[in-house]
Amino acid sequence: MTTPSDMLAHSAMLSPVQQNPTPSGGKKKLIYDQDHRGPLSTDTVATLMLLQADNIDLLGICTVSCDMWAKQETAYALRLLELMGRTEVPVFMGAQEPLLNTKAEAQMRYQMFGSRSLGNEGYLGAFAKDAAGRDELAPLPPPYNRFAQIKAQPEPAADFIIRTIRANPNQVTMYCGGPMTNLALAAMLAPDIVPITKEVIFMGGGLHHSTSSVNVYFDAEAAKIGFRAGWPKFTLVTTDLAEQVHMQDDGKVDAIVERAHSPIADLFREYEQKPQRANPQRRSFRMPDEMMAAHVIDPSIFTGYDDMFIDIVTHNDGHYGDTSFWDADWKNKGGELSGQNAPSLKAGRVQVLNGVDKKRFRELFTDLMTRPINRSK
Amino acid sequence: MSTTRREFIKTVGAAIATSQIPAEPVAANTPEAAALATTSPAAAPQLGGKRKVIYDQDTFGPFGTDILGTLMMLQADNLDLLGITLVTGDDWLKQEMAYTLRLLEMMGRTEIPVYAGAEFPMLNTKEEWQLRQQLYGGHRLDPWMGAFNRANGGLNEIKPLPPPYDRLANLKPQQEHAARFIIKAVRDNPGQVTIYAGGPLTNVALAMALAPDIVPLVHEVVIMGTGFHVFTNAFNIFFDPESARKVLRAAWPKFSIVTVDIAEEIHEGDEISPGRRMIEEIAAGAQSPISDLFRIHAVEPLRNNPSMQFFRMADEMMAAQVIDPTVFTKSEQMYVDICTTPGPRYGDSMFWPKNWQDVPDAGKSVSAADRRVFVDPRQFYLGPPPSAGLANVLQEIDHDRFKKLFVELMTRPIRKA
Repeated sequence: MTTPSDMLAHSAMLSPVQQNPTPSGGKKKLIYDQDHRGPLSTDTVATLMLLQADNIDLLGICTVSCDMWAKQETAYALRLLELMGRTEVPVFMGAQEPLLNTKAEAQMRYQMFGSRSLGNEGYLGAFAKDAAGRDELAPLPPPYNRFAQIKAQPEPAADFIIRTIRANPNQVTMYCGGPMTNLALAAMLAPDIVPITKEVIFMGGGLHHSTSSVNVYFDAEAAKIGFRAGWPKFTLVTTDLAEQVHMQDDGKVDAIVERAHSPIADLFREYEQKPQRANPQRRSFRMPDEMMAAHVIDPSIFTGYDDMFIDIVTHNDGHYGDTSFWDADWKNKGGELSGQNAPSLKAGRVQVLNGVDKKRFRELFTDLMTRPINRSK
Repeated sequence: MSTTRREFIKTVGAAIATSQIPAEPVAANTPEAAALATTSPAAAPQLGGKRKVIYDQDTFGPFGTDILGTLMMLQADNLDLLGITLVTGDDWLKQEMAYTLRLLEMMGRTEIPVYAGAEFPMLNTKEEWQLRQQLYGGHRLDPWMGAFNRANGGLNEIKPLPPPYDRLANLKPQQEHAARFIIKAVRDNPGQVTIYAGGPLTNVALAMALAPDIVPLVHEVVIMGTGFHVFTNAFNIFFDPESARKVLRAAWPKFSIVTVDIAEEIHEGDEISPGRRMIEEIAAGAQSPISDLFRIHAVEPLRNNPSMQFFRMADEMMAAQVIDPTVFTKSEQMYVDICTTPGPRYGDSMFWPKNWQDVPDAGKSVSAADRRVFVDPRQFYLGPPPSAGLANVLQEIDHDRFKKLFVELMTRPIRKA
């Protein structure tokens, strides 16, 4: 029979040769996994925030198909690093396709069940009807202007994630701003990384505004794997929270265009200020990825979190990618129904951020966008 | 000096240690390609000499279809076995590893590298599977659950190996993950590698997800699973339906399926000539350790229990498709897809003829030939789902030639490294 010490020997062995943690001067080690939509979007703005923050050790940027195809996203990420003078940050191209979902099926579910199946939003990203092909690479508009001279790393994103977490046990925060495809692949290939990851932060799903969002329903299977894996800490920004702040609220954009340095000022002038002036009715997007970045940079601006269970529907129907939430304290809540509102058998535990200090978020955001370009490592 | 169970678990686990996947080859020097690492065009298929094979298996010991498939591959002299990759399925990965390594030692084939692969399916879990059975009822003829069997131990439990294995191997697995080995082997041998996938398709799905460029570079994929007649829910598929769907939908140059229907046509206990069973012929005529395996685990148990049931020859047929595909006398190109909705049909397989438009319409009577293949061909009128993959479904096999091939491989002198 296997003894408990056998098991321990096994799990100890699974952890890699423990290297001395790289001194990072107290900086937070971060793997930034993103469906990096250019030229400017919530994805890109979050990238700018993390590049500008001086308390973040950005170990690498991973891309994953969703808002765009991974190749196009990678082209934007590489050139943005050049524009920001941060060519030392390695870029890893990740999953080009979701684990199972396909464009044809996403389109048909939309027709068959309506946008309800798509989190009330009907946004399909790279699977949109008129979206470019997976291997097409469109030229980059100003201020990007051309493809980068720097190249993506040859290693797949999942391998980089595994290698980096093993080399820095209990120190790495995983930022997943797109579908969890890369994270799910890493956890499947190397289950030993799960308990030694410091924190995973993800944006997607919701209880009120919409019950799903593209990061989840683009790859529902990866979301299910990611949520269920059992990370020591999993922080979630829902659409409910992200909807509380929009980019054009409170004159942020004008302040940034006026005070920021190039290329940040150029990006906001071209892709936020001009379109908004041309069309004052334009509804600017919520700030989900910016909130994730804010949580990584300064978690104290969030007022609290709800401890919950979460699970994902992977039925290939109108609910593909829907999120289900349960109160972690379900046993003691619900009056007469106490004890009956149990989560699904394999539901994952998440800390759902439930409020943000809007003033402090605005201050942090505007400060990061307008401070001198951070060219240090 | 024998290996202790604890030492063994350590070496298996070490195989999960990371290693880098070689860089994707960069395509022509277009500005776009220069901007990114992109996929290389597929090299022309080139088959010279022996067929290169990656043998992916959920090796359930001490005896049975997984082991016999392995023995056939080890004995065939027209194959170059690049490596054995293991995946949890019929048993947990580490127990499968114990049987595989010791079998290679006993066969004197320790030069073949063995790689540990996925320890869990993509999404399926034992607890949810049991709940589904309670909720929807069982509907399979053979309720085999492999590693998820109720009585089965945990994933780190190594049970002692019975005779003729007797002890754990001194041979060690490789340090590389199975999926990485598959990627590397296919890229190094473009157009030449056959992937034999005899277990759940988790390792192949992982390799594809990490490196989609390998799909057009593979010569052929042979899998066992799916069915339309005996039952539609085959173990290798419903243990990990998501991986099966991913692999079945990819555009492999050639993808062959041994269904449960064709596998059910021949069982391990069948006769090769009147009054003479294959297992008796092999136990009497083979060299050790093959003769020992058949004597201890087939002939003697049958003597003690004359009503003993033998399993269908599923993986043996896959091995035949790799070693001598001419034993199959009929196959058909069909669309195959897998249900991944976690309901009563989780893991079910669905088939459509490639030329589904030509199947007689509802007004016409269904021919006996149609009935033999499909429960009701009228279900095919609307064609396959948009992303279904096309597969070469093996439909008829020359029983005599297959049995002769099997017995001949088992009784020829043990092939040397």
